[in-house]
Amino acid sequence: MDLGYINARVRGMHSRLLGQKDFDVLMIQKDIPSLASELEKTPYKDEIQEASVLYPGLKGIETALRMNLVHTCQKILSLVEGSDAEPLVLIILARWDIHNIKTVLRGKHVHVAPEEIEGALIPAGTLGEPLLREMIKQPDVRGVVDLLATWEVPYARPLTQCFDEYASSRELSVLEYALDRFHYEYAHSLLEGNKEDHEVMRKLLQLEIDSLNLKNALRMNRDKVDTGVAEGYFLPGGEHIPLEKFSALVSAGRIDEIAENLEGTPFAFLAPLVPEAMRTGKFSVLEKELDKYLTKKGSGVFRSDPLGGAVVIGYLWKKQNEVVNIRIIARCKDARISDAELEEELRHV
Amino acid sequence: MAGWEIPMGAAIAFAAGAIGTAWAQSRIGSAGAGTIAEKPETSGSIIVLEAIPETLVILGFVVASMIIIMIE
Repeated sequence: MDLGYINARVRGMHSRLLGQKDFDVLMIQKDIPSLASELEKTPYKDEIQEASVLYPGLKGIETALRMNLVHTCQKILSLVEGSDAEPLVLIILARWDIHNIKTVLRGKHVHVAPEEIEGALIPAGTLGEPLLREMIKQPDVRGVVDLLATWEVPYARPLTQCFDEYASSRELSVLEYALDRFHYEYAHSLLEGNKEDHEVMRKLLQLEIDSLNLKNALRMNRDKVDTGVAEGYFLPGGEHIPLEKFSALVSAGRIDEIAENLEGTPFAFLAPLVPEAMRTGKFSVLEKELDKYLTKKGSGVFRSDPLGGAVVIGYLWKKQNEVVNIRIIARCKDARISDAELEEELRHV
Repeated sequence: MAGWEIPMGAAIAFAAGAIGTAWAQSRIGSAGAGTIAEKPETSGSIIVLEAIPETLVILGFVVASMIIIMIE
């Protein structure tokens, strides 16, 4: 389909995203019912009305947000079908596939109730709801991997290859790493052209891989994981965190060593936060800042080439960010967290 | 004097304007259709925007007419 048509529709959808003023109004709501009624004045109206009949309170809002995100992603996928922007959208939506497969695997690994797993799924990717429902019905991890292989889902390949290692070690991280690695290799294989959009997407993917490697390296450093073992979990394909830097971050004994390794990378802004995170062992602050940075970069793509496919990518990032922010507001209201703390918790708006 | 040059010149002037208009309208049309699909209230502006490239073909027509009338 013509990119002019797709971009015009996406820009129309973009104009309906919530702005700073809308968020200010949502943030000053006292509780969940008032938040829900305020959301009824936004484009989330239909989903809020539908979900509030099924579930009251926070669950209703979360269900509505999930439904809205799924509708949006499916709409975008149907719009870009057959166009130059299709591979870009498939890469972005594959994240939800990875999220869903990991969620089911984690649930089956620790024997969580199927209803609980279902509540955590976001069927916004390419794996349809029937397959997800079948996955949840499986008795164990083996069943899930076999089902994916039967349905000829590409993600079954890395899982099948690493299953024996998982079966002997009972370490779920083996399967999760295989899945992540396959996802990024597959994504890069879709971006073999020299088009400007592909270059933009490639840069975003590299940044995402770097950020994942950085998060893993810092966690492994905290848990004093052996460098040799840690290197087995390094994701190739990043730009600023090569294997040597990753190993140096994992084995760094002093806080200033970590900060030194971050210098010269786009993640140098994390250096002042590292001492506090290392001292308290709480890495959520670093991870939040990294997520904010990635969201800012991803959303910024919306303002790149107005006639290119990257507009869709920027919109999907912005939409995801909006849903995450509303969810944060809802959870903070539910937990009666102060407005000042809530504002700190929000991601890039 | 009425060789083949004058009608040919007029034809080129008119055709170039028409082709330019067609190209511009196709791009504006597809983007406009997308915009109306998402925001039906913009229909009026889109129709005006869709018509703007018509000026190109009118200009081509005027130039073609001038070629035929003024060059003898």
